Amino acid sequence: MNNFDVYLYDGSFNNLLNTIEILIKEKIRPIKIVSEECLENDLFSNIKKKTLSRNSIFLKKLQNISKEFFKIVYDVYLSDKQNKELIMYYFILNGLKYGSKIIYLRKLKCVNEALNVSNYVRREAHKLKGFVRFRKLETNFYLAYISPTNNVLGYLANHFKNRLANESWMIYDLKRDLLCIYTKNKYIIITVKDLEKNDFKFSSDELEFANLWQTFYKTIAIKERKNERCRMNMMPKKYWPYMIEMSDEIEKSY
Amino acid sequence: MSIEEKLKILADSAKYDASCSSSGSKRENNNGLGNASFSGICHSFSSDGRCISLLKILMTNCCIFDCKYCINRKSNEVKRALFTPEEICQITINFYKRNYIEGLFLSSGIIKSPDYTMNKLIETITLLRCKYHFNGYIHVKAIPGASNYLLKKLGSLVDRMSANIELPTNNSLKLLAPDKTQDKVTKIMQTIKENKSKNFVSAGQSSQMIIGATNESDLNIMQMSTNLYNRYQLKRVFYSAYIPVNKDRFLPSLKMPPLKREHRLYQADWLIRYYHYKIEDLLDSNNPNFNILLDPKANWALRNLDKFPMEINKVSYNDLLKIPGIGPTSAKKIVSNRKFYTLEYNDLKKLGVVLKRAKYFILCNGKYFISNEYFNYNFIQNHLLLEDNIDKKVQLCLFNE
Repeated sequence: MNNFDVYLYDGSFNNLLNTIEILIKEKIRPIKIVSEECLENDLFSNIKKKTLSRNSIFLKKLQNISKEFFKIVYDVYLSDKQNKELIMYYFILNGLKYGSKIIYLRKLKCVNEALNVSNYVRREAHKLKGFVRFRKLETNFYLAYISPTNNVLGYLANHFKNRLANESWMIYDLKRDLLCIYTKNKYIIITVKDLEKNDFKFSSDELEFANLWQTFYKTIAIKERKNERCRMNMMPKKYWPYMIEMSDEIEKSY
Repeated sequence: MSIEEKLKILADSAKYDASCSSSGSKRENNNGLGNASFSGICHSFSSDGRCISLLKILMTNCCIFDCKYCINRKSNEVKRALFTPEEICQITINFYKRNYIEGLFLSSGIIKSPDYTMNKLIETITLLRCKYHFNGYIHVKAIPGASNYLLKKLGSLVDRMSANIELPTNNSLKLLAPDKTQDKVTKIMQTIKENKSKNFVSAGQSSQMIIGATNESDLNIMQMSTNLYNRYQLKRVFYSAYIPVNKDRFLPSLKMPPLKREHRLYQADWLIRYYHYKIEDLLDSNNPNFNILLDPKANWALRNLDKFPMEINKVSYNDLLKIPGIGPTSAKKIVSNRKFYTLEYNDLKKLGVVLKRAKYFILCNGKYFISNEYFNYNFIQNHLLLEDNIDKKVQLCLFNE
C-alpha cells in the first residue's frame, strides 16, 4: 500500500460508489479520493483508477442498511465539502459493519461528519425552496438562476415538479452549469456550457409583478422592529443576488 | 388608483398581524397550481427579521369599527383602498408562480356589515380555489360577528382560519375595541374547533394578543393563552408587542415596542406547549411578570436548583427537556445516542447540543464541567447573566453601526 495513492473517479455518484466498493473489497484505506474535475497536478501522488463494470448489488446492499443511511450517503455526495469522498468511504465502511444503527453512532468521527454534512445539505435545500425566484419568459417558461453552496438542484426539481406541475420551468445552477428543465410532467437535468443570460427575453408582465413584489417586500417590514442581524441570519447574503426583492439592498451595501 | 398603490396601502395595514406561518397543511396539487408544504416554507425575510411566507394583505382597510389601537379605525384619516376579488387572485397567482410566496394571508376591515365582508372574502377565495385551481396555502381572518353558516363556508376553503382575541381581558377589550367582544371571537373559535377536519381549516387556528397596550401582567396573558389552547385547541397564540400608531388618551405612549417582553412570552408559550411546564411553574401572584434579564426556563431552573445537576446519561426524556439550553431536538439526540455509548461533554458537542447554558445544570458520566464546588446559585446566576450581557454588547455594537 502506498500512502501517496490518489484514487480517481469520474465525478458521478455511481462511479464513486464503485470505487469505494473496490477499495473496501481490497482492504485499501485511501487517503484521497478525488473526481477528475477536482484533480490538481501533484507530482508526489500516484494516480489510480479503480472501477469495474457497473454493479448494482453494492447499491442494493447500501439501500438495505436503511433508507435514511442511503439518503445521507447521497447528501454527502451532493455537498461541497472537501474530502467528502473520504467521509463517504468511512461512513459506508462502518455502515456495512454496524448496520442500521450506524446513524446513531455519532461517537465515530465519520458518522458525525456525515450526519452534519447531510444536515447542511438538507437545510440549504429547504431554504432554497423558498428563496428561488422565477422570472416569466416570453415563451411562458419560468426561469430561475441559483448558485447554491451544495448541489441541491435535484431536491428543488422534486419540490417544484409537484408545486408547479402544470407550468414549464427551468432552474439554472450557475455554479455547476447544470440546467433543470421541466415541462409536461417530466424534468431532466443536463450540463450546459456558456448559457448566456441574454438569450432569454422576459414576458411583457414580468416587470410589473417584479415591481409589485418589491413594493410588497418594502411595505411589509415594521420599521420600529428593524433587525438586520436577524434577517442576515435567516437569509444569508450569498442568496441575495438571485432574489428580486434584494436588488436595492445589494446596491446599498456596495 | 393603481394596483401598486393599493398593494402599498393594503399590505401596510396588514403588517401588524404577526402570523405568517404556512405549516401544518397537507393540501396536494390536484391538477392545478401549487400545494402546501407540511413543514412550511419561508420565502423571504423583511428588514425587521420576520419571515415572509404569505402574501399578507387586507381586502380593504375601510372599517366601520373604531378600535383604538388600530391604524384602520373609522376615525383615522388614512388613505383607504379596496381590492376586487379578481385583483387579489391575479397578484396571488402571479406571485406564487414566481415562487415569491407560499400562499395568501387575507384579512379585512369591516365594510357595511360583518356578513357582507365575509361574503366578499368567500367570493375571493372561491375564485382562487375554483377558477384558478389554486392549491397553495390560504390563511383568512374570520370576521367577528359574521353568521355561522358563512364561517363554515369559508372554513371549508382554507388551510387556516383565525380570529384575534387582541387583548387578554374583556375589560381591556371594551375599553380599546368597543365594537368587539370576547364572545364574538370565541364563538368563531368554537365553530372552527367543532368543524375542523382534513377539509376544514386543516392547519388549525391561531390567534393574536397585543402586548403592552393595557396593563395586564404576563400572568394574565399566559392564563388567557393557556385557556385558548385548552378550550379551542389553537395551534398558536401570537404575541405582538404594541406599536403606537394612534394617539389616544386610553393608550400608553411608548418609545419602543416591548420586544423583550414579547420574546419572554413566546419562550414561556413554548415551554408550556412543548416542554410540559405549567403556568404555576413559571409565574405566580407574587411574581406575575417574567424576568427581563433571564429567560423563563433558566429562571425556573435556578429556583429549582435541588433538581440539578442532572446526569445526561440517566434522566428521562422529560427531565432532559427541563435543562436550560436543551430542547426537543437535543433531547431526542441524547436519548437515541446514549443507548449505544456513554456521553461525555465532547460527545454532546458533537451532537450539536449547545452547552452555553446547559453546562451549568448537567453531569456527564458523573462529572460537572468544572469542579463540583462551583455548583451553587450565585455562581450559576452570575454566569448566566454575564453570558447574556456579552451577547447584548455585541448586539448593541451591531445596531450602532
